[in-house]
Amino acid sequence: MQLHYGWDEFKNVDFMSFLPIILPVIAIGFILVLIALIDLYRHRKTRKNILLWTLIIIFVNTLGPILYFVIGRKDSDRI
Amino acid sequence: MNNFTVLAKKEFVQMVREFKVIWLPLVFIFLGLTQPVVSYYLPSILKALGGGQGITIDPSMAAQKGGEVLASTLGSQFDQLGVMIIIVSMMGVVQSDKANGMLAFILTRPVTVGSYISGKVISNYLFVACSVVLGYLVSYLYVILLFTRVDFVDLLVALLFYLMWILFIVSFTTMISTIFNSQGIIALISIVFLLGCRIVVGLSPVLDNVNPASMSKHAMEVLILGTVNTDVIWSVISTIVLSALTILVTNIWISKKKFNNE
Repeated sequence: MQLHYGWDEFKNVDFMSFLPIILPVIAIGFILVLIALIDLYRHRKTRKNILLWTLIIIFVNTLGPILYFVIGRKDSDRI
Repeated sequence: MNNFTVLAKKEFVQMVREFKVIWLPLVFIFLGLTQPVVSYYLPSILKALGGGQGITIDPSMAAQKGGEVLASTLGSQFDQLGVMIIIVSMMGVVQSDKANGMLAFILTRPVTVGSYISGKVISNYLFVACSVVLGYLVSYLYVILLFTRVDFVDLLVALLFYLMWILFIVSFTTMISTIFNSQGIIALISIVFLLGCRIVVGLSPVLDNVNPASMSKHAMEVLILGTVNTDVIWSVISTIVLSALTILVTNIWISKKKFNNE
């Protein structure tokens, strides 16, 4: 089993065969992250734990932006 | 303009303000995309990561039918992560109104409890249903692209069955959101109960007839086998009755609470 891949082996991978299929999946995840980050940036004065939320949005895959929209935005309304 | 349309409109304004109108459909599209793509690439993923020695991938196993993939989109994406996301996005539906005093304010107006609840449930249901339909259609397009065709009538019948189950999810979450005050407890109870319903499906035929989650199983059966089980009529009746019951409990709870406060 091969675990380590070098840079030159990227040339052997046929990207065009699966890129059109994978691309929408990546794009939708990216749009979610982008909307969440833009919203966080626009309300950076009133939110708490901005750094924490940024890390969650970027690194927790797809669930991060959802958690931010559901929980992260509600906290600020009470202030 | 009667009360109901005003309240439903208020719900939609609220959704736009919370960006729900953008992210909920996106999440369902994402869930709908994941299942066909992952099942299409499963053999190559296994080959690349599964430790190459001595493993052969049976080619006949990999050849899934389109209907099976679409059914597993419903069964393993929408029924787990999808249900949790619906619940989490809806847990504040009445609770936030209670918390900031909006409910008490609305009820001082000449608005019946019934039109308040029906405005809530119907507008939220329409919106969640639209998101689910969107995700389902995207999943369908991908299944056509990567696997075999699915019969369009089967697709619609399965979708209708699945939307009945969504109706129960929405009305149940609204009821729990009315009864309890903390968002965490609302989410916990709804998720445990609804996923529990989904898990016990198929254990006993008697239980299935009164279990709303069996609508999801019937939808999967329609997609896989192409035939409608005759038991579905009992499930339809019980789902409608149970949804009506939860809405009734919500109605009674709010009216009673009002009498207690004043």
